Amino acid sequence: MNPTAHRMNEVVGLRLQLEGAGYIAEPALAAALLLMLDLGRPLLLEGDAGVGKTEIAKALATVRGARLIRLQCYEGLDVHAAMYEWNYQRQLLAIKLLEHDERPAAVKEQDIFSERYLLKRPLLEAISCAEPPVLLIDEVDRADEAFEAYLLELLSDFQMSIPELGTVRAVTRPLVVITSNGTRELSDALRRRCLYQYIDYPAFAKELAIVEIKAPQAAGQLARQVVEFVQSVRRMELRKKPGIAETLDWTAALLRMGISVIDDDGAERILETLSALIKTREDRAGFTREVVGRIAAAC
Amino acid sequence: MLIVKASSTIDAGATLRGRLTGFAGFLRANGYGVGGADCVSVLETTVRTGVLDSQILRWSLKALLCGRGDEWRRFDALFDAYFLPPNKKIFVDSNVVAAGAHEPRGETGERSENEPVSGAGHGVAGDTDSGAARHGASREESLASTDFRQLNQAEHAREVEALMRRFARRLKHLHLRREMRFHHGRRLDLQGTIRRSVASGGTPLRLAWRERRRVRPRLLLLLDVSRSMSLYSFFYLRLARALCGELADVHCFIFHTRITGVAEALRDPDPWRSQERLHLLAAGWGGGTRIGECLWDFNRDHGARLVHSRTGVIIVSDGYDTGEPEVLSQALAALRRRSRRMVWLNPLLNQPGFSPESRGMLAAMPHLDLLAPGADLAGIERVLPQVIEALR
Repeated sequence: MNPTAHRMNEVVGLRLQLEGAGYIAEPALAAALLLMLDLGRPLLLEGDAGVGKTEIAKALATVRGARLIRLQCYEGLDVHAAMYEWNYQRQLLAIKLLEHDERPAAVKEQDIFSERYLLKRPLLEAISCAEPPVLLIDEVDRADEAFEAYLLELLSDFQMSIPELGTVRAVTRPLVVITSNGTRELSDALRRRCLYQYIDYPAFAKELAIVEIKAPQAAGQLARQVVEFVQSVRRMELRKKPGIAETLDWTAALLRMGISVIDDDGAERILETLSALIKTREDRAGFTREVVGRIAAAC
Repeated sequence: MLIVKASSTIDAGATLRGRLTGFAGFLRANGYGVGGADCVSVLETTVRTGVLDSQILRWSLKALLCGRGDEWRRFDALFDAYFLPPNKKIFVDSNVVAAGAHEPRGETGERSENEPVSGAGHGVAGDTDSGAARHGASREESLASTDFRQLNQAEHAREVEALMRRFARRLKHLHLRREMRFHHGRRLDLQGTIRRSVASGGTPLRLAWRERRRVRPRLLLLLDVSRSMSLYSFFYLRLARALCGELADVHCFIFHTRITGVAEALRDPDPWRSQERLHLLAAGWGGGTRIGECLWDFNRDHGARLVHSRTGVIIVSDGYDTGEPEVLSQALAALRRRSRRMVWLNPLLNQPGFSPESRGMLAAMPHLDLLAPGADLAGIERVLPQVIEALR
């Protein structure tokens, strides 16, 4: 078979698998994931909050039957929290215990700085797994530039140097998925090292499929109306547009309230559920009875 | 389908390879950050994916060669322009401007990679090849519209640089939540102390301390370059460039009826090229002002990316705004929420008989941490302590 036809089959196959894991993927994303497996490069996902970036890593782990190791980045994240740390308390205890030991000092020292006293944090954990895991580095833009530099070193060589122990080389190469919300500009070096995928808000058909998979009770008329409603809300000038998570939350809220149809008459009750969809005060002020009624009538 | 000129079977492979690697050069000419190693990756990719299905090739190359959101959005049009047969070719508007802006960087290594392009896709290759001609054209235009040569005047250059260096030095460090190990400090670093004590058999002889890390605030400069500011805009641009040279985390935008980022152009070490790039960016210089709309656009396009809780915003404008004051007020409020401090420098403020009563200025006042004058070097020097104090 020629490589192109083969590739198309692979793309279709991966999309089916991802759907089985509860994730609806665009063919472009499936192609990028395949390329990521081929080239062994990390995949950088960008897009607004709530478009399902993190879910991709989870679905990929499910499909590959791999472990998911997650590193949540935050301001102030440092090497000790991300890579490794020595278990100082145990080391100290060991020193005391070894005081009356007859072995030479060099051996004792080697014992104290052995892997038994090493606490593995996500990044070290990821490169020392026997089976390649999926490593999710979530919201990398929240960590600072210094951490990004560490990350670059790790992602280029898949090895980590621990001064007391030596260099730890990756047993297997993890599949690295990096997500960013764009609160800080990432360095070009990191971008160049990664495959890139911009995740947009889903189109109508895709979002409908997601709602039908994740909230089967809402299938049919309600699901269609929910998605229609959310899509028109996203077209409005809002400070925070609702993501897929919000759509699902809102669907659950509607079901809980026993609302089975979205129309102009039920606008008051819909208004009560909107806190699941609209998350800032300024945006909420724009949603009066009339506005909701108008959008609902159009669904 | 792709155009592959297969005159002979041996040639076909080489032509195809040339055409694929030429695509990386084509993207680079359009402002993508694509390097030489990416050409190799392109070939490696196509070995896996094949080249017969344009969709597969498009998706794969898109993931491989894009690096950021705007590149992602422009990719499809460029892919079509490069690979579709000429009669189906869509010409992309952004080609010329973007290619010009990045021309000097690509000139040396790019030519050879672009040769396959000129062999097969005439129209597009023409755009990248005429770099020399375009340099001439834009120079003339620069003389006709905005004369950026003032930017490189030697006069006062030293003073400007010295002043900005002092400013940068005195700009107070902010404390961060992230802590670092220090020689002395407020908190005992237990981990570090125990780690050090390992060397002395578990007796903590040398103590380690932790102190919160300090960084300088990020600075965001928004310079009004409309006609009413024309006396001051070059002066401030020079200040901005000197400041960009001193501090790394400075972002500079100019605005009139539109807002444009100029930090990259200002940082260009070659003054002539910096001038050239500014010229390309500055269409509309010296026109009217719509401060409100400009800030609104800024908030939408760059706000989330550039403005964080450690950002000091410095706006330089006379406050003469032809837009709605309400828009300005809202945009400033949004920007103020995101930032740490907001300072407004108004060069007219010290002129006798001037009071900040223009509608724009009145709308802005409630959101500012500091409104200060500053029309020349001496004036700036006088207000600098206040600005530094306000940015703390």
